[in-house]
Amino acid sequence: MAPVKPPRPAPDFSLPDVDGKIHTLSDYSGKVVMLNFWATWCPPCRRELPSMEQLYLDLKGKPFQVLACDQQEDGDTVFAFTGQLDPAPSFPVLLDSKRAVSRAYGVPGLPTTFLIDKTGQIAYRAVGGREFGHPAIRALIEELMAA
Amino acid sequence: MCEMKISALCSFLVLLVAAATAMAGTVQSTNPNNGLSNWQSADTPFSLQLLQLMPDNVRAVYSNKGFPPALVEEMAGYCMFGSVIRNLADEPVSYDVADWRAITADGVRHPLRTKTEWLKIWQSQGVDFGWSILPAAQTLEVGDWGQGFTTVKLPHGTRFDLDYSWRQHGKTFHAILEGLQCAPEQLPVPPRKP
Repeated sequence: MAPVKPPRPAPDFSLPDVDGKIHTLSDYSGKVVMLNFWATWCPPCRRELPSMEQLYLDLKGKPFQVLACDQQEDGDTVFAFTGQLDPAPSFPVLLDSKRAVSRAYGVPGLPTTFLIDKTGQIAYRAVGGREFGHPAIRALIEELMAA
Repeated sequence: MCEMKISALCSFLVLLVAAATAMAGTVQSTNPNNGLSNWQSADTPFSLQLLQLMPDNVRAVYSNKGFPPALVEEMAGYCMFGSVIRNLADEPVSYDVADWRAITADGVRHPLRTKTEWLKIWQSQGVDFGWSILPAAQTLEVGDWGQGFTTVKLPHGTRFDLDYSWRQHGKTFHAILEGLQCAPEQLPVPPRKP
């Protein structure tokens, strides 16, 4: 993941997850947030979800949160897809049905992932799929959590 | 007479070597399961791969997204490729699809239709979908990559070379992806085994 220079404030948003519960980014202030933009029809997005889930499980109990922001698909489509994954995502999967949030973040293509620091600044960005179990990514997150 | 033959032979060899050098920038392969081809740049820090996309694939993608039938047909009439771009350099690279040109055998340089242009057309027809086409312009940081459709208004089956470019440490670089061919209307028939 590449550093965002200079870090810029992460636009706040509120979106429903697949169960209809509303999640607001600023509610996660004090945690490092991995914000991922994806869609079920996007092959690299599908490939990276299991490693994202594993990372989330590994860092359970630490100030770290994953939010996966699906683009322009309905809840039934997303729910049917994530239900097939093993392991299924235990982090919130949000529905950005009008792509208002991806627009606010200037997402060029899917997948794109941001790391937001504990103060709400966008610190790192990755365009294209990643293996989130990679030690270099883990080290970035640890560094942001310790800051 | 003998000298003339040797001279002609030398010229031929020079041409052959030149052609081989030019072709060294493109690696072409064919999917044995469906006969469709793909082309990959070689030895460039900005890597580009194009994969033939059948018109029926295009119809399926956009019909599934609820596009109006006329718009789906307009898109299926375009020469489309699945494309994968990668920054293989150790520094940022940027590109702008508006600068790329498809060069047909008659020497005409055809601009590609960019995502920005498609989005305007889609939005004018009430479609708010914002994905699937390769981002029109962006900077890829180290390790970044992306994918999306590349489109150019050429008949199915047309052969062309793609002049594509990118910027790196303040300079513009050009490369040619050679011997591309728009996918045919129907799947190529696999060659029969003898």
